[in-house]
Amino acid sequence: MTWIVWRQQRPVFITLVAGLAVAVVAVLVLRASMSADLVARNLVDCAAKGLEACMGPAATEFQTAWFDKMHIALATVLAAPVLIGVFVGAPLFAREFEQGTHALAFTQSVSRTRWMATKFLVAALPALVVVVVYQLVVHSWLDVAGQLGPLSTGEFYFTVFDSRGVSPVAYTLFAYTLGMFAGALFKRTLVAMTLTLGLFVVVRVVVGGVRESLITPTRLISGDVAEPAVADRGPLVVRSGYLDAKGNVIADPAPMMNCGSKADAQGVVDTAACYRENGLAQRYADVIPTDQATTLHLLEGSIFAGLAVLFVLGSVWAVRRQV
Amino acid sequence: MNTSPVRAENLAKHFGRTKALDGCSFSLPEGSVTGLVGPNGAGKSTLLSLIAGLAKPTTGEITVHGTAVRGRMHPDVSLLTQKRPLYDQFTVRELMRAGAAMNDRWSAGRADEVLDLLAGVDKDAKVRTLSAGARTQVAIALTLGRLPKVLLLDEPLSDLDPLARDETLRIVMTDVAERGTTVLLSSHLLTDLGDVCDHLLLLDEGRVQVAGEIEEVLDDHQVVVGPAGLDLETDGVVVDSSHTSRQTTALVRGSGAPEGFQTERPDLEALVMGYLRASRTRRYARQ
Repeated sequence: MTWIVWRQQRPVFITLVAGLAVAVVAVLVLRASMSADLVARNLVDCAAKGLEACMGPAATEFQTAWFDKMHIALATVLAAPVLIGVFVGAPLFAREFEQGTHALAFTQSVSRTRWMATKFLVAALPALVVVVVYQLVVHSWLDVAGQLGPLSTGEFYFTVFDSRGVSPVAYTLFAYTLGMFAGALFKRTLVAMTLTLGLFVVVRVVVGGVRESLITPTRLISGDVAEPAVADRGPLVVRSGYLDAKGNVIADPAPMMNCGSKADAQGVVDTAACYRENGLAQRYADVIPTDQATTLHLLEGSIFAGLAVLFVLGSVWAVRRQV
Repeated sequence: MNTSPVRAENLAKHFGRTKALDGCSFSLPEGSVTGLVGPNGAGKSTLLSLIAGLAKPTTGEITVHGTAVRGRMHPDVSLLTQKRPLYDQFTVRELMRAGAAMNDRWSAGRADEVLDLLAGVDKDAKVRTLSAGARTQVAIALTLGRLPKVLLLDEPLSDLDPLARDETLRIVMTDVAERGTTVLLSSHLLTDLGDVCDHLLLLDEGRVQVAGEIEEVLDDHQVVVGPAGLDLETDGVVVDSSHTSRQTTALVRGSGAPEGFQTERPDLEALVMGYLRASRTRRYARQ
């Protein structure tokens, strides 16, 4: 049975492997060329320190040349899961139903469950491997640029977060099972492909919007009311604002920040003093620290894995009721 | 008596409001070749897919050799479906390998024998490049490679030229003769059926109209011909009658020749045609 599915999926595998090979070669060439550029501009040390530490035309020119290219590479890692869902997941059962070949399998000794399980696994494994390899290759390129590249936007910036850790695998499983379920349910490849594309984008946006509430944030407090409580771009700021003298969050600090009329003779406003006078005692920020990024990856990944399990069960139901 | 190769008990299959099959009961004797006939939409394909376990009956039950069929193929049954679904991108050889992989009991020798018959099928050709006849031959090879004890054939001859039709029937009948296979075979080609079938199962509107050994069924019917205007009085059931300005012809089931009519025993074709015509008349009458 494994051999049959392998033979059926062969054109898909060839496309996947060829696509991966082209992409990997392209990324490795770009990586090598960028490494040479870093050396030529004498920026190798800067990559670890970031743009702020290396002010100067060389670093800026380097970013102008490479930053967008690396971001595009990240975007392709984000796109890979939905491509797998649309082109591998959606046709998996839909094409069989369209061409009637499910009846060929169902009229042999093999059980429907085994047929489904084999198709599911044999088509999914290479797709997952391709996604993971591509993810690792792209990140190996980004690591060379270090803080001069997109990684400087911080662990939680969506292009970085969504292309790292278990996230691409979780998204791929989700997209693939979504496509498979849509195909098993509607039995039309085109319908399944369209639904997969649409639903994938919607669910990713919705979950991406609420995922920060999966972790109880850590509150950082700064006594200096004129400066934000978090300075760097590392942690994910969930909420930020002002506290009163008792340490309670001030719901609407806007009226208390009206310090324009408090200017001294030189026209300089001592904002901090004015804020304190108005009752803004401290600034706070509720953040998810950088070291919890892995936890957030796992939590969000488990949502998508849970949805994937539901889609698998849905597919089993849809195929079993099929005539 | 429960070990009949195929036995249907009050079988019904509804698709929404449409009753594809309704209250069907019959059993096929061991080693019989049964022709399954009926107008288009009578439920022939539905019945075959129910026996194969491709679909589940709404009510009733099918047993194959005493085992109830529930949502999967009985190992003794083989079905040749009407659309001949095959993996088009496979070569014939690869398809036979797939057949071996998907079946617990498989005879590569039997499948190859079928492929080598007639002009022979090129085993390295892609399935999608085959002619309709060769495609059917490949599908039959897959079907017989399972070494079935019950063979279900849905329109096995429909897309074949007369020569291929004759030869295909010969492939199947050789298998039946050698292995004592029980066959249920749906077809519109009545003359072909008459040559190979010994039993008849006539479906109309989801119900069994006639079931039994062909010779007995024919004995039980008569074609009566009489002058126009003469009343057709008989103890039997008038299945179908047609009138011209000069004479009345009718197919009558049961004994008792009506007075003034000439009677003769119908042949299979006349019998089935009579039922098909009657079915169409009933449908027109309802519209």
